[in-house]
Amino acid sequence: MSMNLLLREESQSPAASIRVSSKWAAQALTFLMVFGPGLIVMEADNDAGAVSTYVQAGAQYGTHLLWLLLLLLPVSYFVQEMVVRLGIVTGQGHAAMIYRRFGKWWGRFSLFDLLLVNFLTLVTEFAAIALALDRMGVDPVIGVPVAAVALVALVITGSYRRWERIVIFLCLLDLLWFAVALRVHPPAVGELVRRTLVPSMPLGGLTAGWLFLVIATVGTTIAPWQLFFQQSCVADKRLRFADLKWARLDTFVGAVFTILVAGCMMLAGNAALVRHFDFTDPAKMAVQLGAVLGPFTKHAILLLMINAAVLGTTTISLASAWAYGEVQGWPSSLQKPVREAPAFYAVYGLCVMAAAGLVLIPRAPLQLIILSVQVLAGLVLPSAIIFLQLLLNDKEVLGDQFANKPWNNLVNWTIIILLFVLSLLLAAQVAVPQLFPNA
Amino acid sequence: MATLITELDDRMEQMRRSFAVVHPLDDVPEEKVDTEHLGHMRMTRTVKICLFALRGYLLLMVGMLGFRVLQLAGVIHG
Repeated sequence: MSMNLLLREESQSPAASIRVSSKWAAQALTFLMVFGPGLIVMEADNDAGAVSTYVQAGAQYGTHLLWLLLLLLPVSYFVQEMVVRLGIVTGQGHAAMIYRRFGKWWGRFSLFDLLLVNFLTLVTEFAAIALALDRMGVDPVIGVPVAAVALVALVITGSYRRWERIVIFLCLLDLLWFAVALRVHPPAVGELVRRTLVPSMPLGGLTAGWLFLVIATVGTTIAPWQLFFQQSCVADKRLRFADLKWARLDTFVGAVFTILVAGCMMLAGNAALVRHFDFTDPAKMAVQLGAVLGPFTKHAILLLMINAAVLGTTTISLASAWAYGEVQGWPSSLQKPVREAPAFYAVYGLCVMAAAGLVLIPRAPLQLIILSVQVLAGLVLPSAIIFLQLLLNDKEVLGDQFANKPWNNLVNWTIIILLFVLSLLLAAQVAVPQLFPNA
Repeated sequence: MATLITELDDRMEQMRRSFAVVHPLDDVPEEKVDTEHLGHMRMTRTVKICLFALRGYLLLMVGMLGFRVLQLAGVIHG
């Protein structure tokens, strides 16, 4: 046996590995290999609906809601950290866990709600793509199907890594929001820091409209599909027990990045407020700002709207496809080629194509769909998060090492009660608006 | 031959001192907790209270939606 062959065999066993000379380099490289699901789930939550909500918050209340974003940073991290733990320990998705531990009734209820709210959200993503394309002078009848085909092509390569790299690139494109925020001449740094650290009321004081924008911002930042998506993503990437600390760091980095980007969106909205623009939607605002600040601002905001919708679409469709596939017991992995997981890819493709098709129907009831998303999210999020909390206290599954500690429970129950109340208020405002005459 | 063995020893020593990093997808699949044969969760008092509260919350939401639908249909006025 030649020496080269001997060395090659040694270096290749037990699996393809990269050797580095220092512990620090090994840790950095491990983090980079684990990095992905946390950033993606967080940044994809800045989807088309989130762009609309954050920009509207800025356009109506300026920088008065920046403190809320800072408050939502630990909330979103704590919620998502729980699914990371559950995903790593069980290697299963969230839907499968609900089915197994709570039985068929709760399993079907969670799955049906998730699929419905996800599909309606997808329709809003494509509606945003159509709106932004239209403002850019591209016919949505051509642009929307092209986007849908590209979104299907993104996942059918049979490589999780390829999908992840492309989606991380799309997440990083959101760095352009920082350029937009600088371009619109934001308030002085001191004022921004003060508004971020010290909660403040807008000039009109506490109104029902302000309260519901606060609720909408919370609802936008913590969405039900995120729980299902990240747990399935962690399971599909086959993260190991030893990867837990890096997966937590990935989630934290994702949360910080997402909140910073959301802050930039509020600053873009604030630019419309200080110029006394009449705000109706982010695409129109982009055109208005473009007329004052130049075409870069207009095209950047419109492209970022499309990027947000694309990120939202691929992750939400995957959350549905993984959840449905897990429950049905189908092979459901981005690592598998289409011939080995046809049903998984079919669900993904069906979600994308049906949502894109619905948007192209003339006079489709988009406003009704947006309202339905809000009401359904109010149904799905509290139930999903209750199951999550119960699963994280399930010592038969997680053991003492990975189950919630008392301080975890204190934080999480506080978050859950807050989300219950806010979800109920938001859904009540949509379903029974006469209860809130000034909203 | 002696040179080859020395080189081999050096390389082996270098590998012993180095750190191997494996991508999760390239690693040997890890054994996870078997959830398939665990059955349903034990119905402790906390679990019962949570599920009861969840049912109440869902009923309230459905009731509100039903009220709105009936109102839009003109069955309920006000």
